[in-house]
Amino acid sequence: MEWIMSAPDSGGFENIVLKGDCDLYAAPAFAKAMQSRISEGAKKLRLDLTEVGYLDSTGVGAIIRILQEAKRSGCEIRFRGIEGSPRKVLKMSNILAIMKEDGQA
Amino acid sequence: MKGLIVRQLIVDERNELFDAQGMRYAEFPSDFSRIREFTAQILADCPSLFMEGNLLEQQLSEIIKNGIKHGNHNDPEKLLRVWYDLRKRARFIVEDEGEGFSEIENWNEFFRRRQTALFDQDFDTFLSLASYRGPRSDDTDGGNSLIAALEYWNGGMIFNDKKNKVGVVRWYAQGSSIAR
Repeated sequence: MEWIMSAPDSGGFENIVLKGDCDLYAAPAFAKAMQSRISEGAKKLRLDLTEVGYLDSTGVGAIIRILQEAKRSGCEIRFRGIEGSPRKVLKMSNILAIMKEDGQA
Repeated sequence: MKGLIVRQLIVDERNELFDAQGMRYAEFPSDFSRIREFTAQILADCPSLFMEGNLLEQQLSEIIKNGIKHGNHNDPEKLLRVWYDLRKRARFIVEDEGEGFSEIENWNEFFRRRQTALFDQDFDTFLSLASYRGPRSDDTDGGNSLIAALEYWNGGMIFNDKKNKVGVVRWYAQGSSIAR
């Protein structure tokens, strides 16, 4: 899996587009990169999972760690493009309930 | 108002889910880098109805990972044994050579507190409890695979007495239509 970060949009969100499988081999490095970005001072991040077709428990754990770090640091995290199997996995893990998606208040 | 129902991991050595009669068998070395490859081998001729996109692959991969990593500690000399039956439903028995998942009671208590926080909409507490962290947990452990597993394996998820073997089954609404 790779991820591409872009400069803040008009709403102040840095967009991070993930591509590939967010699995036990790739997710730990992604979590560390996002935790670093938050600790460096990022205040608004949007994670775009449109091109993630496979998400396992390590990937879900990465999302949890990012949300925990964001809460500690006062960073707002939004999500976009959670569909298919990744959405089902997040729902079965009960994590979807605490993820703010685009379009939600 | 609906009440809170919290599922639990169950130990039942004599459960019928451990009856391997008629099941196919495969065994694998405990190679962490090949977990998804092993999973794909087992599911090579799985009916597409059972695959549900890649959901079955993902859930089976979690069980194989638990056996290889937590059970066998990635020791290549130790085998992971898998019995599987993909007729009418997806059923697996996975056994490692480890000491067993001794933290089951702790995990059940963790899960009860986690689900209670979610039920109470105490999201701060829920977030702090979102992942289970055991004595050997590391970055590759999401700490939530068993939570999804309890939901996914709708026909049961049972451990043997030693807790180094798990039996699981998922039923499908149209499963009996699969000709084998």
